[in-house]
Amino acid sequence: MSVHPVVIDEPGKKVLLMGNEAIARGAIEAGATVATAYPGTPSSEIGNTLSRVSDAAGLYFEWSINEKVAFEVAFGASMCGQRSLVAMKHVGLNVALDVLNPVSLRGVNGGLVFVSTDDPSQHSSRTEQDNRWLAKQNCIPVLEPSSPQEAKDFTRYAFELSERVKLPVMIRTVTRLSHMRSDVDLGPIYRLERKPEFDWEGFSYRVAGFEKLFRRHGERHEKLDRVKEEFEGADFNHLKLDGSEKVGIIGVGFAFTYVLDAIRKLGVESEVAYLKLATPHPLPTEKIARMLEGVETLLVVEEVDPFVEMHVKSLAKEIAASATILGRETGHLPREGELSPSILDSALGGLLGISVDRIDRSDMEEKVGELLFDRMLTLCPGCPHRASIHALKKAVRKVKGDLMSIVVNGDIGCYGLAHAPPMSFEDTYFCMGASIGVSQGMARVGVDTIAWIGDGTFFHAGMPSLLNAVYNGSPLKIVVADNGTVAMTGFQPTPQSGKTATGKPAKKVMIEDIARTLGVDLVEVVDPYDLEGAQGAFERMLEAEGVAMVIARRACSMEAVRAMRPEKPVPYFVDDELCTGCRICLSQFGCPALAWREESGKAWVDSAICTGCSVCAQVCPFDAILLEGS
Amino acid sequence: MGVFGLVIAGVGGQGTLLASRLIAQSSIDVGLPVKIGETYGMAQRGGPVMGHIQIGEGAESPQIRPGEADALIGFEIGEAVRRGVTYLKEGGLALVNTRKFPPLEVISGMMEYPSEDSLLSLLGEVTSDIVKFDATAIAEEAGDAIATNMVMLGAIVESRKLPFDEEVVTAALRRSVRAAYLETNLKAFMMGKTAYGDFSK
Repeated sequence: MSVHPVVIDEPGKKVLLMGNEAIARGAIEAGATVATAYPGTPSSEIGNTLSRVSDAAGLYFEWSINEKVAFEVAFGASMCGQRSLVAMKHVGLNVALDVLNPVSLRGVNGGLVFVSTDDPSQHSSRTEQDNRWLAKQNCIPVLEPSSPQEAKDFTRYAFELSERVKLPVMIRTVTRLSHMRSDVDLGPIYRLERKPEFDWEGFSYRVAGFEKLFRRHGERHEKLDRVKEEFEGADFNHLKLDGSEKVGIIGVGFAFTYVLDAIRKLGVESEVAYLKLATPHPLPTEKIARMLEGVETLLVVEEVDPFVEMHVKSLAKEIAASATILGRETGHLPREGELSPSILDSALGGLLGISVDRIDRSDMEEKVGELLFDRMLTLCPGCPHRASIHALKKAVRKVKGDLMSIVVNGDIGCYGLAHAPPMSFEDTYFCMGASIGVSQGMARVGVDTIAWIGDGTFFHAGMPSLLNAVYNGSPLKIVVADNGTVAMTGFQPTPQSGKTATGKPAKKVMIEDIARTLGVDLVEVVDPYDLEGAQGAFERMLEAEGVAMVIARRACSMEAVRAMRPEKPVPYFVDDELCTGCRICLSQFGCPALAWREESGKAWVDSAICTGCSVCAQVCPFDAILLEGS
Repeated sequence: MGVFGLVIAGVGGQGTLLASRLIAQSSIDVGLPVKIGETYGMAQRGGPVMGHIQIGEGAESPQIRPGEADALIGFEIGEAVRRGVTYLKEGGLALVNTRKFPPLEVISGMMEYPSEDSLLSLLGEVTSDIVKFDATAIAEEAGDAIATNMVMLGAIVESRKLPFDEEVVTAALRRSVRAAYLETNLKAFMMGKTAYGDFSK
């Protein structure tokens, strides 16, 4: 295996990089010495990459416990003159928001760049939020790259800008960019050899005085004015305007790629003026004013909200009141959801009165839809969460009589798939840690609940909420689906793993110790692969007074199989003599390693993907599923 | 040349991304710009995955428009048909692994897996250039079902649709795959080439 391309020190070399890897490379080129992140799709590969190369790149990387802490760690390093990067998915910024405002108000010392990966169309998120509003609210300059090359170059530039104007700078990507790969020209790697030293004059109440440091809103505005000046003249805000065009387009960040593709497809290069806009905040208003004066109709193309569109409209009121400004707000582009080349083809064609050849296969797609399944999301073969849910359902049936007698509040992670059939045993999930919080409110008003939370999520946001239940005496039943990793985002380690993001030894912090310390009345740890044992623990939890927790602990099956390589697990098989064809293993358990054989009328185990967990053998009422070789 | 557009369809865990990356690295190695757009949902394993690869100058976004892909590599027959019907241009090459990877709907008995004929007849409305074989069986013969991706890669290289030679791809493969897996991967790649020859008649 060759060296990771993000640490290759050969300026000019072309390498294949994912958008997120390019951001990591940008931070390395800028000489960042500290980087922090909390995993979340589509941002996780930034941290994954840095965790792998931190030694080679000479930077400290950590998976922080949540986004707010990640931001604070980075800010601490910045106050000591270091360049630091923070990466998170869009909803992560909600968690970090509390610290963002004071940081931007106080300012930074060493460059501080944070990445928000927004997720148009909610490919893997609970919300479709547009974090440019949060940047605006907090006077943060925003750079929106349109390609992996720009993702790298803008990240490097963002560090220089941040350090020059003393504001944190946000890189905003979208899923398509974070996850796309393309050829990227590497730049030189700058080594920041700066002695870490706390900036007493810049941040110390003792040295600089409270009044000087405290009220700085005016100063923050002045900083933003300087950023605007710089953005006005920047090449990355490229205006193409001859004066003869009737239609203009502002293409913001990644959405500009669709604009250029549509212009080419329609062959209307000479009829359309455009501004390739990399800085939605603050806006280069002079460039936009020139566009507004040069064209009659202006289409603003951007991902998620009409953020630039609304600001351009307010600008136009003063300088070009007759201009027609179109976009997502006016319905010329969809109000929500991700854009695409085809959407832009139609929108631009509509404005120019050109009919666009579009290949329409909707009839055939409908036939495919009728014939073919959707391929529902499901837990992996051998997933311990499936076993936990199976045992939990049996316990609830036994203790409460009815599965609908209790509300199951889930949380964010793989185990959130508990709502999917055939498990179908989860009612809600909202945001990190909410399972424990909302369950208390329900319990307070007499509705029975189970909080169903993963190990990673418990560490991220579950602890304060658990303490709240103990302190306020709210009856609470919690199941921690503990698979020893943050699996959904790519198997990042948790504090229970005994190792850090970069594989160094760390103190093991166990959830049962935290729970007991916080005063939880009943804490049990069980192995969900032992269905009977797990069911018993869940029954005791359901019958307990006060706050009760069961930690269902078993390593993620994907991780376990990987750790075994090159050995393979010993699979199970169905004994056709014993199988009665009742389908309970399929209809009630539904591990993807099980299948139905129409020709024999029996269940069948796919030995290629069976992880040998044994749980289906325990589920089978006829003992027809056996270990191979047994 | 213009842009060559290739859609890769499969299921999470089939190694579609490694195949995409080797094609992209080969493009860079012969001096061509390249873009891969990846679509994958929340599932680690078993969810539908799709990659769009565009080789050459002239594409900005990583998405191929519906009906404009020059070729399709389908790692799983159902996914091949789903994506082929939407993205493949008329008459474009469709390489299809006929091995079924049943989803939960089929496993739990809610639906049946459609027959190969019914699926391929839909794809047949888009193109007659369908080359189909059980690539997973070939990979198993090469030593490991996981090398299905190399069988498909060998087949697309043998089709000569890609703007680079076999040696460029095998060189990229040697640089990217761990020594312990290299032999099986190369064998699967070669068997994929042979399979294309055998089944494209």
